[in-house]
Amino acid sequence: MKSNGVEILLVEDSEEDMDLTLHALQRGKVANRIFVVRDGEEALDFLFCRGEYSERSIELPPKLVLLDLKLPKVDGMEVLKIIKADARTKTIPVVILTSSKEERDLVSGYDLGANSFIQKPVDFEQFRETIKNVGLYWLVINQPPVLEPSRLIGADHDKR
Amino acid sequence: MINAERVIPPFGELRILHVEDNAMDAELVAQSLRKAGFLLSVSVVQTEFEFEKQLRENPPDLVLVDYNLPQWQGMEALEVLRRQGSDIPLILVSGALGDMTAVECIKRGVTDYVLKDGLARLPEAIRRALRERSIVLLRRQAERDLAVKAEELARSNADLERFAYIASHDLQEPLRMVAAYTQLIAERYRGQLDDKADKYIAYACEGAVRMQTLIQDLLAYSRVGRLGAKLVPVSCEAAMDEVLIILGPAIRESGSIVTYSPLPTVLAEASQMTQIFQNFIANAIKFHGELPPIISVGAERAGDDWLFSVSDNGIGIPPESVETIFIVFQRLHTRTEYPGNGIGLAICKKVIERNGGKIWVESPPGEGSTFKFTLPVYVPEAEMKPDKTASRAVPVS
Repeated sequence: MKSNGVEILLVEDSEEDMDLTLHALQRGKVANRIFVVRDGEEALDFLFCRGEYSERSIELPPKLVLLDLKLPKVDGMEVLKIIKADARTKTIPVVILTSSKEERDLVSGYDLGANSFIQKPVDFEQFRETIKNVGLYWLVINQPPVLEPSRLIGADHDKR
Repeated sequence: MINAERVIPPFGELRILHVEDNAMDAELVAQSLRKAGFLLSVSVVQTEFEFEKQLRENPPDLVLVDYNLPQWQGMEALEVLRRQGSDIPLILVSGALGDMTAVECIKRGVTDYVLKDGLARLPEAIRRALRERSIVLLRRQAERDLAVKAEELARSNADLERFAYIASHDLQEPLRMVAAYTQLIAERYRGQLDDKADKYIAYACEGAVRMQTLIQDLLAYSRVGRLGAKLVPVSCEAAMDEVLIILGPAIRESGSIVTYSPLPTVLAEASQMTQIFQNFIANAIKFHGELPPIISVGAERAGDDWLFSVSDNGIGIPPESVETIFIVFQRLHTRTEYPGNGIGLAICKKVIERNGGKIWVESPPGEGSTFKFTLPVYVPEAEMKPDKTASRAVPVS
């Protein structure tokens, strides 16, 4: 899949979960352009257009990042923190998908600037419905900010 | 007796530390005690230094003290004992003291006072002192044992709860996969295999969904109070109103009549009262009898507690089950008779007990059932001023 023009970036390490989420999105006819990365580091490479994603343009960010919290290499919270701390990426909506309802995660997720925090419903039907609604809301209903090119010039470079 | 402190066995050797400057008197005392049947080992000391040394090296069962000593004040022996945190009984064996002095000594903690020319009374005084002390020691030991047991119990309960939480939390994730993928298989391949396959897949789906409910119930149960949320004043009337909305469809469908008399404000976690009233009332609707359910909720003051009651005219509870219905996953009926997992009342019990109350059920045959529970009366700080009466302390907000 071409990594430019991606609408949804799904960051998910569990294959089962990935398949379910893709199934739910496709079935909800939400997005055709979904790109999946399997760990936190790859997610950052993708978003900051480095490594194997260096041909991507940072000016064409995905419309939505679906972020799992338990991730190898760089964990979800850290990914969120980095996305939200950088002027070039901080306006990308990040929706945290988690299986836990731990209040700690919830609070710190919002502290770090998560746009939404969703516990994956245990019930399969509800899960499909939720994922569909998330996609519809952020891709169709939500009006993203228009990035002015000037804001990108001289923006913080990735400090990592 | 497993105890650092010695309790005198009835016929054991009695170790006496005798503070006495007159060797003759000391001997007389010892003789009178031997005559009375005591097996003795006596150390006689005259100074504070010797006294402390003996206390340390050869701890006695009993201290006898002469009030008048040339080198030392007899009563100071008591101070030494107190300083060391010891409660070894101390009996004054002395020449005549004024009544005032004797009373003063007893007040300060001397166990007894025996005149040197009344030594015949000494054996009984000693026996009584030792008896009292052994009772104190036994009680103290029992209290210590109890505290240890209570601590062990609290720890094992906490472990169990943590286990239930972790187990149910971690089981949920893989089970979500089982449930989701069996449902996907059911959707995609229905009618493409044979009838048996469709049936088996349906069974697998149902099993997975039922297990999910069980796990979620267990999680809900183990979450009660787990997060240590703050207790806040909660209006039980507001909670009931909420319940009437939540259960509105079920109430209408069953033709139930639900009423409540004035209810107090109590301390609870924000949604707890709603949850327990909801559980009680949903149960009352579910276990209805021939007639439409009539459910009434009330509360009356009983000392420092509110006594709540939730009565219905349903099928009631057989006497042998009035205790077990509060246990997690205990059900009196088969799932086909009445759906449910048996978690509702267990949660009610846990909430109420954690908030300092008790719960039970009364169910005379043929008269429905009445769930009763207590919760401590909540006294708002602003109402605790002396000019307010206690009965005004519980406003219904």
